[in-house]
Amino acid sequence: MKRVLIIGSGISGLTCAIETAKNGDNAILVSPYPSERSQSVLAAGGINAVLPNCDAEDSVALHIKETINIGCKIAGNKTVTALCKDAPKIIKWLESIGVVFTRDSNGNVARRAFGGLSRKRTIYAGASTGKQIVTALVQEARKWECKGNIYRMLGLVFYSALICDGVCYGALFHSEKSKKLVPVYADAVVFATGGQNRIFGKTTGSVLCDGYAAGKLFTQGAKLKNLEFIQYHPTTIETPHKRMLITEGARGDGGRLYYMDKGQRVYFMEEKYGKTGNLMSRDIVSKCVYDAPSQVFLDISFLGKKKIKENLSEVYDLCNEYLGLDVTKESIPISPSVHFFMGGLAVDIRHRTNIKNMYAVGECASIYHGANRLGGNSLLAAINSGKVAAMSISEEVRSENTPDFSGYIKDQCDIIKRYLESKSTFSAVYIQNSISQIMNKNLGILRTGENLIKGIESIDYYLSECNKIKFDSENSTYQGYSLSAMLTLARAILSCAENRKETRGAHIRSDYPQTLDIYEKCSIISYNSGKYDITYESEDEI
Amino acid sequence: MIITIKRQRDATSTPYWQSFRCDTNPNMTVSALLDKLNYTDDLYDINGNAAPRIHWECSCLQKMCGACAMVINGIPGLACATFLRNIKEDKLTLEPLSKFPVVADLIVDRSIIENNLHKAQAYLGKYRKPRMKDFPQLYSVAKCLKCGLCLEVCPNYIKGENFFGAFFANDMYLLSQQSADRNDKLKKEYAKHFASGCSKSLSCVNVCPMGIDTLASMAKMNRLGKR
Repeated sequence: MKRVLIIGSGISGLTCAIETAKNGDNAILVSPYPSERSQSVLAAGGINAVLPNCDAEDSVALHIKETINIGCKIAGNKTVTALCKDAPKIIKWLESIGVVFTRDSNGNVARRAFGGLSRKRTIYAGASTGKQIVTALVQEARKWECKGNIYRMLGLVFYSALICDGVCYGALFHSEKSKKLVPVYADAVVFATGGQNRIFGKTTGSVLCDGYAAGKLFTQGAKLKNLEFIQYHPTTIETPHKRMLITEGARGDGGRLYYMDKGQRVYFMEEKYGKTGNLMSRDIVSKCVYDAPSQVFLDISFLGKKKIKENLSEVYDLCNEYLGLDVTKESIPISPSVHFFMGGLAVDIRHRTNIKNMYAVGECASIYHGANRLGGNSLLAAINSGKVAAMSISEEVRSENTPDFSGYIKDQCDIIKRYLESKSTFSAVYIQNSISQIMNKNLGILRTGENLIKGIESIDYYLSECNKIKFDSENSTYQGYSLSAMLTLARAILSCAENRKETRGAHIRSDYPQTLDIYEKCSIISYNSGKYDITYESEDEI
Repeated sequence: MIITIKRQRDATSTPYWQSFRCDTNPNMTVSALLDKLNYTDDLYDINGNAAPRIHWECSCLQKMCGACAMVINGIPGLACATFLRNIKEDKLTLEPLSKFPVVADLIVDRSIIENNLHKAQAYLGKYRKPRMKDFPQLYSVAKCLKCGLCLEVCPNYIKGENFFGAFFANDMYLLSQQSADRNDKLKKEYAKHFASGCSKSLSCVNVCPMGIDTLASMAKMNRLGKR
């Protein structure tokens, strides 16, 4: 029986824990907060799968083709095939654990249209699919917790991996309560720590997803992949404290985008791309909204109050509460915002990183999506990756004895002690805010080499300074120690974007507007003593 | 605006009150206000004394995760969904939820919620497809944030005792409607930890940020119990 450490308890972490337990192994599920606080609960629109009652001429082959094409041909054939083939089984499993999917008139799970899909293939639960899945997974995980196969540890934030000679033996965590570092050893370690939202400040995601784990692991030798591909969701709303997502399901159910010109509505997506223009892939819609001459609106009012309340009640509530706007009568002012990270820890088809016994799942892993993610594929990838990683681990041979990490742990405890002893009133949040300003200014929807180099120079300056600064110890210790790794990750993202001198999917370079065959591969970046090395590889060969 | 916060350095230290002055606008939420206070260069209280940054919990900032539940001007609510335009006076008082142990300032330890569900072995077992007419209530109930607001307002809920509160009734309803083989066990747990202790004040229904109709869940559970 193996001992599997899973870091992060959103959808991919929960799935991995459940599958680990089902395989007869023991899962230790570590997170700072309960699953209900994870970013997974924000996933709105749905999950793609080709079911037996699918649209005419839909097929798993078409799902594969569309995933690869929307990803601009750099996702692997083998990896995407594995993902899409498993999708129908995943829906069946989710139903069997009690996910309350929306039903059609025959009582079957309902399907809706989604961005970039040629067929109605997105299974959904109103406009809170992620939350509904989390609820069911928490209940299912509880069953295994009661049986003793899953053990949860709360209140711990990731500090570093315990790696020796290219093998991972566990991880160190920081307890904000005891202010101490806690080591947890395991036969395999799975990272399920989500995307890199906080690096960009106000996004559609959770403030808890900050990319620290990916950044720290990068400095410890893990390779990262496709960092330059950051998905902007075309329909988000601005509020005083964050950007909020208006689900693609709103356009899937018929919502139309327009701007005003001389008192007339211009349905620019339909004019450019025809009837289904509003549901083009997210990179295309975001760029068109970005290029629009005036404020863009999303109109769903004509769907009628009944349909909106039934299918899009969360959109109604969100706009009513945060914008004071009645979507059954008025259009929603929208603009694109950072939403999803196609890049992350480089993994192979079995979700193994380049470090032995270290795995990555969910949004913190980079696989399946290429240069642009198909709407409805992120929940699918989160669940599939959790299952695949658990299965891979169960098939691996156990490593020999754990080496002695006591020297390393003592050094790290001393570092934490120094943070706690600081009398400075300088808040680490200032540098965090500077990172997001640099990233938004120099790595927006439209990129240039000049701006990217400026961004790299600014981040390099903060990197050279941040370890010299003493931070306010009254703030969370985590905020202080996480900065250096977040800056390193930001530097890696900018480097990948600068190095890819072409336009592909979500990576749009105004100075290199063409898509080039020489770049039809994934970027892999590695870190060695302050040096960033980028290579290009095929996803199926990683 | 003057903001008065019940502070507590850590789980074992003595609580104290501290007031701050802050420029606000009506469209700010309480969470935006807390961010503004924390991100000022140096934080000073109303008497000009240097103050430690304010500890509070947040994740989604849009009423979908329940992290920022606290007591706002005496009323339990989510900081991210409470707008200053709805605060009647020019004073704002923030306190941690009182029915959970304080971790620091406005952060409390709500692990008892999950512990009680674990104690009651609240899981599904074999799946049974529910009736179509039950889907809207099941969907609504599955949105429970486990934020603890229903326990904060409940006159019957006392921590550590046998009565688990409204979230528990809703979870038992969600599970029993979909379980083919654990109904009896789930009903017994519902009777033991909820039905026998609820005095039906229904304050939980009014305070729930997701608008979950606990009374409807109770009605269904009671009907199941009689079958």
